[in-house]
Amino acid sequence: MTITLALPSKGRLKEQALEVLEKAGLKVILPKDQRNYRAQVEGDSKIDILFLSASEIARELGYGSVDLGVTGEDLIRETLSAADERVQIEARLGFGHADVVVAVPEVWYDVSTMADLDDVAAEYRQRHGRRLRIATKYWRLTQQFFSQMHGIQVYRIVESLGATEGAPASGSADIIVDITSTGSTLQANHLKVLEDGIILKSEACLVSSRRSADPAGVAALAQRIQAAMAHG
Amino acid sequence: MTGSRAPAFASDLAALISARDAELVDIPVIQPADQFLDMAGEDLRRRIFLTENENGQSLCLRPEFTIPVCRNHIELNAATPKRYAYLGEVFRQRREGGNEFFQAGIEDLGDANRARADARSLADAIASIRLVAPKAELETLLGDQAIFEAVLAALGLPRGWQKKLARAFGNPGQLKSLLADLSSSQKNGFLPDRLTALVADSDEAGLAAALEEDMQVAGLSPGAGRSPHEIARRLIEKANLASVKLPAQAFAALETFLAIRVPLQTASTHLRNFSRANEFDLGPALDQFEARVVAVREAGIEQENIVYDAAFGRPLDYYTGLVYETRALANPDLGAIVGGGRYDRLLTMLGAVDSIPGVGFSIWLDRLEKIAGDAR
Repeated sequence: MTITLALPSKGRLKEQALEVLEKAGLKVILPKDQRNYRAQVEGDSKIDILFLSASEIARELGYGSVDLGVTGEDLIRETLSAADERVQIEARLGFGHADVVVAVPEVWYDVSTMADLDDVAAEYRQRHGRRLRIATKYWRLTQQFFSQMHGIQVYRIVESLGATEGAPASGSADIIVDITSTGSTLQANHLKVLEDGIILKSEACLVSSRRSADPAGVAALAQRIQAAMAHG
Repeated sequence: MTGSRAPAFASDLAALISARDAELVDIPVIQPADQFLDMAGEDLRRRIFLTENENGQSLCLRPEFTIPVCRNHIELNAATPKRYAYLGEVFRQRREGGNEFFQAGIEDLGDANRARADARSLADAIASIRLVAPKAELETLLGDQAIFEAVLAALGLPRGWQKKLARAFGNPGQLKSLLADLSSSQKNGFLPDRLTALVADSDEAGLAAALEEDMQVAGLSPGAGRSPHEIARRLIEKANLASVKLPAQAFAALETFLAIRVPLQTASTHLRNFSRANEFDLGPALDQFEARVVAVREAGIEQENIVYDAAFGRPLDYYTGLVYETRALANPDLGAIVGGGRYDRLLTMLGAVDSIPGVGFSIWLDRLEKIAGDAR
């Protein structure tokens, strides 16, 4: 039985994922044709490598159509409902660090916590006759954090497809939920992260699907990579 | 109109509710989604079936009846008082089990005699259950948002805290953590030096002007979202609140209040004793509560097991007074068979020009069918 391992198809994530595999003694033979999205591991015909976009990897793990994958925890938790029932995080890989955060305009000096935001959101509707708008790509994470964790109900999510940090200045939203690694983009846009506004500290993870047809094979491969990670 | 999937008793139930002086209305299954999200909050989004039309307008399958019935009333500009009855399917996403449920209910709009309308709503709801499950052992839990707000006011809490706690009514976890917060002090976060003095002097106009400059630097339009004045006012309010603490005595009184859970017949006496012991004046809220207890007695449902629970509420900001739900004691896992309440703010929020009081209930027919079957 072969095991399908999905890797990010481009950029730094792809490079670093390949390095991790190599440390575990799994050398991926890249296809000569860059447009080919399948590859093999040197000397191991039982592993199929599949290159996909990071968010597709999350979705396919949820379906169980790939057995293992390397992708960001943010994408796992955003793409899959009840993620922990469908997939398992086998290892945190130490790269691709990014925090999903709640950020508000710096000039909102009266707002430094989610409790402040709760007050502001309730007052906002009464004063402006509409809900406070949050621009984000992270619909599910935002909803869980605001509604379930903090009991804030009166807001509206405005889906943002890019340059979320510009939404308050362009007037399409009041605040944002976005990823940040250094905070410099937020700062340049005069936004600040709330004290208790870190929704998730994300990094690239090795993730297994709980719907895999070969759980033993998946566990063995995951263990091999975990062991390599532990030895640095 | 109910189709073959409706429980066998559906037409008898429709006859019962429409015979109670209520016009049976037909509400379209496909509804604009925003009205529900605006009223119930974003949390509803994952529980409704959403779609879009060609113009990008969000539509959904009817998740409940109260809001569209009220909207319909406003659009028709109908005269009040007016009572509407409905029976039909609602659609909710759930992880397990079905997604389509039948609901029936009555919305009573514009009756100025609130105590009588409240009691009537309770009586209608219980009569609907009794039609199908005459022998089931029921418990009706009754709460009152107005009493809770009157207690908060009587405690002498600052307005900001009152509003915050009132929003958490009916959500015990949130209420508890808020109370813990209020027992310790809160203060403003980082503030640039040039603003500190303006806040200390409570100079709202000066502060707003300074904030407006900051907004321009940041490229924010001062007219688009929160205005400089809103921010200035809240900064000053917060600075003033930072020096106030919730006194231990007030804290204890609030806890005593929230623990009150007594049969409705004795609830007025309990509330009177509670307010006397704490030297509170609960004012018109208590008068209204007592008038409702009398009206319930007159409505002939006093043999029913109705319990006043001071902590029972719904954390939705359009509920203003009475909230209630009826459960079957033999089927605790089923949840509420009926939920109801008074929503005097809802019609204004939906765009009515005049303030129109309203009270209503809905019955989950699948749950009702279950308890009828079990009790037989």
